[in-house]
Order: sequence, then C-alpha cells, then structure tokens
Amino acid sequence: MKARIIDRDDVLKIADLLRGQGYDVIAPFRGRGRDTFFESISDENRERFEIHLPNPYYPPKRFVFPHMERLLTVRKSNGDLLIEPTYRETKRALFGIRSCDVAGIYHLDRFYLGRDFRDIYYEKRRQNLFLVNVVCTTLGEDINNECFCVCADTGPAARDHFDLQLMDLGDEVMVVAGSAAGEALFADRMFKKGTDAHREKRSAILNNVRKHFKNTTSWFSATVRYVSQGSILDKTWEEIGNRCLECGGCTYVCPACTCFTVSDHEAGPDEIERIRIWDACALAGFTRMAGGHNPRRAVHDRRNRRFFRKLAHYFIQRELTMACVGCGRCAAVCHGDVGMPSVVEMIRRATTESETHEAQ
Amino acid sequence: MKHSENIYLPKTAILDRVTDEIAEVKTFTWHFEDEAEQKAFKRFRPGQFAQVSLFGVGEFPTSLPPSPTEDETFFTVRSVGSCTSALHQLKPGDKFGVRGPYGNGFPMEAYYGKNLVFVAGGIGLIPLRSCIVYALKHREKYERIQIFYGSKTPNELMYVANLREWEKAAGIECRLTVDKTCPTDVWTGNIGVVGSLFKKPGTQIPVDNTVAFVCGPPVMFRFVIRDLLDLGFQERNIVSTLERYMKCGVGKCGHCCIGVAYVCTDGPVFTYEQIKRLGEDI
Repeated sequence: MKARIIDRDDVLKIADLLRGQGYDVIAPFRGRGRDTFFESISDENRERFEIHLPNPYYPPKRFVFPHMERLLTVRKSNGDLLIEPTYRETKRALFGIRSCDVAGIYHLDRFYLGRDFRDIYYEKRRQNLFLVNVVCTTLGEDINNECFCVCADTGPAARDHFDLQLMDLGDEVMVVAGSAAGEALFADRMFKKGTDAHREKRSAILNNVRKHFKNTTSWFSATVRYVSQGSILDKTWEEIGNRCLECGGCTYVCPACTCFTVSDHEAGPDEIERIRIWDACALAGFTRMAGGHNPRRAVHDRRNRRFFRKLAHYFIQRELTMACVGCGRCAAVCHGDVGMPSVVEMIRRATTESETHEAQ
Repeated sequence: MKHSENIYLPKTAILDRVTDEIAEVKTFTWHFEDEAEQKAFKRFRPGQFAQVSLFGVGEFPTSLPPSPTEDETFFTVRSVGSCTSALHQLKPGDKFGVRGPYGNGFPMEAYYGKNLVFVAGGIGLIPLRSCIVYALKHREKYERIQIFYGSKTPNELMYVANLREWEKAAGIECRLTVDKTCPTDVWTGNIGVVGSLFKKPGTQIPVDNTVAFVCGPPVMFRFVIRDLLDLGFQERNIVSTLERYMKCGVGKCGHCCIGVAYVCTDGPVFTYEQIKRLGEDI
C-alpha cells in the first residue's frame, strides 16, 4: 500500500477532491454532549468538521443497508401487474469512518455478496461507496470506555478494505491508499512522499494508543470455542436472557447485523411499494409463523441465537470474519449490560468455572 | 438491468383455477405470464419451495406439491395468515407474484435403488406429494414404495383423488388412517394415529436400504420419529422438511436461521440426524 503525507490543515481538501468528483461526502459531526451523527459535508458545515470525535451510535451501515429501503413498486392497471425494482446509485464517500465500521462493511460485503445469492440493492450502494478511514488515536474522543476493537482484531488501525486511511501524526497526517481509486487521488500536489521518520512516528503512536483501551481482555477465542462446541450451560444463557429487556437496541446499532423484514405498503392509487426494514432477533415475533407457532419462544433462546450467529466457528468460516467488530455500541446502549463484551466475559467465567468444577 | 439478477423480484403469475381440498385448504393452479419463466421454474426438485407475493399484503413461502414430471404448477395452501387469506380471495385470471424455486429439495436421485417409506400427517402430505408422484413416475428406479397417511377425520384427507389412485396402483402400498370419525362419516379404514399403521398385521416396513420421509404437525412428527427409531431406522435415513417464518427465501433476511443452518438455503430438507443437531423444536 502506498502512503503519502499531507499537512493536517489539508485534510478537508481530500473531502473537497471527492466532492469535486461528484461524491456526496458524509462525515461524523458533533452534536450535543456525547452525541455525534453522520451528515453530508456542505459549504455551511464544512468548518465544523473534526477528525477526532466519538463514533456515532447509529452506524454507517445504513449507507449500504438502509434501515428502511424500498425494494420495488407494483402498479396495478386493468388487472395487469407492473413490477419495477427501485435502485439507488448515489455516489457516496464516508469520510472519517472508524476501523471497526470498515470491518463491519467488509463483513456485510461477505454476507450480502459472497454467497450463493447476491443482493443487488446492497451491491449497487456498495459499488458507489468510497471509504476514508480514520485511525482512532485520541482517548476520550475516538477511543471510549466501550471500545474493544483490539480484542476483535479490527483496529484501532484497519489493515485493509478502505480506499484511503488517515492517520493523525500531529502537525501532519499520513494518508494510506487501500485501493486504486484511493491511490488515484495522490496525483494531487498536496500529497508528499513520507520518510522513515513518519513511519516510525506512526508505529510509536499506534503502540501507545493500544495501551489506552479499557477493555483489552475480551476472551473471544475461548468464547468462540465454547459457543461452537455447545459447551455453554443453559443456565448461562438463561442468566443472559434474564438481563435482556428485548428492546432490540443491540441489533439496531450493530454494524455487522444483517437481518431484515419485508412489508408492503400503499404508495398511491393502484400502486404499492415493498420495503425492507432492519429486524432484530431479540424480538419475540422474529420467528413466529402464521397460525402462531413459534419455535423460539424464550428470551434466552433468542439471546443464545444472537451470540451463536455472531460467534460460532461455522459462520466465521463462512463469512471470514466474526459478526462482531468490537465497536462497543451494544455495550453502550444495552440497559441490561448484556452487550458483547459482558456476554463474552459471562460465558468465559461460567464455562471456566463449570470446567474447573467438573475437574475436581 | 436484467430482472433475473434481482433475487427479491417476483415474476407475474396468473391463477388458472382453484380447487377445494379440505376446509380452509385449496389448491391453486397457476402459470407464469412469461413462458421462459415457466420453463425455468419447471426445473424445480421435489421438496423445494417458492415465495408467493400478494402485492399490498406481503409474501410467504410455500412448498411445491406438484412433481416436476407433471405438466401443471400449483400450490396447496391453508388460509391461516394475512397472505394466505389474500391468496384464497383470488379468482381465476387474477395475477400475483411468484419467485423461486428455492431450497435444497429431496435428493431423489441419491435414493435410486432404495425402498421409500412416506409417512404424512394432515397437510404434511403437501410437500411429500411431489416426491410420491416423482417416485411413481420413475417407479423402476426404486424398490418398495409405501405410503402411510393419516388425518384427524375422513374429511381432512388431502388429495383424495391421488389417494384413491395410489391405493389401487400396483407396486405401491398406500395405507390410510384417521384419528377419529363421527357417526355421519362413511369410513371403513383404520382408526388411530398414523404410527398405528406400522403395527397392522400384514404390514412390514423394511429398515435396511430404506429412506423414510416424515412430514406432519410437530406432535405427529415426534411420535412417528419414535416409532421409526423403534423399528430400527437410523436417524440419517429419516428425512423431513422444515417450516420456518421466512422473508427472503435466499439466505439473507435471517428469520429462518437455526443452529448453523439457514432453512431456506441449507434446507428445507434435512435428515433427522441434522434436525436434532440444529437444536430447535420442529
């Protein structure tokens, strides 16, 4: 991968280059308090752009897989049906997407595009998406108490799957190209060749940053083994289930959750639209069939399902990554404290304890 | 953009006729408006399923009761939810949407040279009808073929015309039973659950080199499995097809995912050995 150096003040010029190429450039902006949100960069808000701020809870997943999306419209006339798919092909650049979310999008790529059936709605959005990753280096801004990308092996600096990566070196920013489209931007004169000193500075900052994560001991590998072997006790799932309030919040903020439901709505006289909406396996109706039969009733069955789907070895092999990227959003929003890091810890403790007990 | 590249896009189907089966259950014979679609669809395998669209109401998965060796395409559907009720409202000539076929289906070629035992309860005969008709069409490929079918009452027996035909046909044994009768029923056959047919004098089910197809309501499934295991069947020689709430049918929406399997793409046909490992109720 090629790298270049720019002045820190020139970061927004990259956004301008992309805007010049017709991209809708979307970046995280600061709201009130901890709140941050993604918004298109405009001439009006351009000056409020910040390179380091807390990652928005509402994940950038929606730019490839919107929370609500029209799939098709059907017009009825004289008994005939005119079925038309509706596609969105806006050119978008995510400017300042964090490494965990880059991993999230790569996971979605594998899921929606990498199997027997390709999801064309996802594909069209993805093909038009340009990713500018920012390496998280600032404690209290980029890096928060819930962050555990170091455990999920997705950050703080993404290794691939971005077009450009920005690494703050202080007065300067190192820009790494991860794709041909990213490298093409280096033609601009603001990009200068780096030196060994730049590379050393990058390594030193990253080595230091890793020490700032509060949660560095999420025992994913052990948990993946326990989940895949089925050696987690029912009572552990029940304990996790008892703490779940069934709000579905964890799935709505998750950059790697993929489930959706589909429903039809009237769109006009003799016209209906079919839309898909994010769905959550925490909700009781998720598996309920017409007639009322529900093979998965208890809340702990549903919790078991979510973590099994995310951590079982079988699915990791199939999608090449865990369906958890270590962003910590579920930990931040869960009222019952059964976000991923807590669950991994609960499983580790309960299973290790029961194994120790059995050995005696 | 070619429509065939969109996995969620239904194709227009035209309803030809509606046949009453039993209370709340009707058979809908239909064909695709586009001839090429019809031809492509006709390559389905027994045990596969389709997604049916009633625009403005929604989409539902349903099994394919016809055998690919038959000329017509049809669904047999019980009116139970909003989409199935909407289908029941359609009149011949009405248009709706269909996409598919989806799922793995029964590996009928892999069963060449084997005995086939079909055990169905109630509307569980719908998906198995496809296999039975297919097997009879390729009769010489299989050894013994036995059908054990039961319903709650004589009025709830499905595909009566087919049953009569199978009862008379040479080279197959078709045994029927009902759970109960009422005084007005004319029923001279067996009374009892479907498993009671296995123990009838003169009935002998070969266990070696046999595949047992089991389909029916959850309670019937549990008892039949127990009976078959008692007879000496191995779990991997019992096959069934699972039903789940599904939105997409192509492994994306996540609703039908149980254990390590997506029922829509890895199933809906599983051996009992696999079903047990998936770790969820039938």
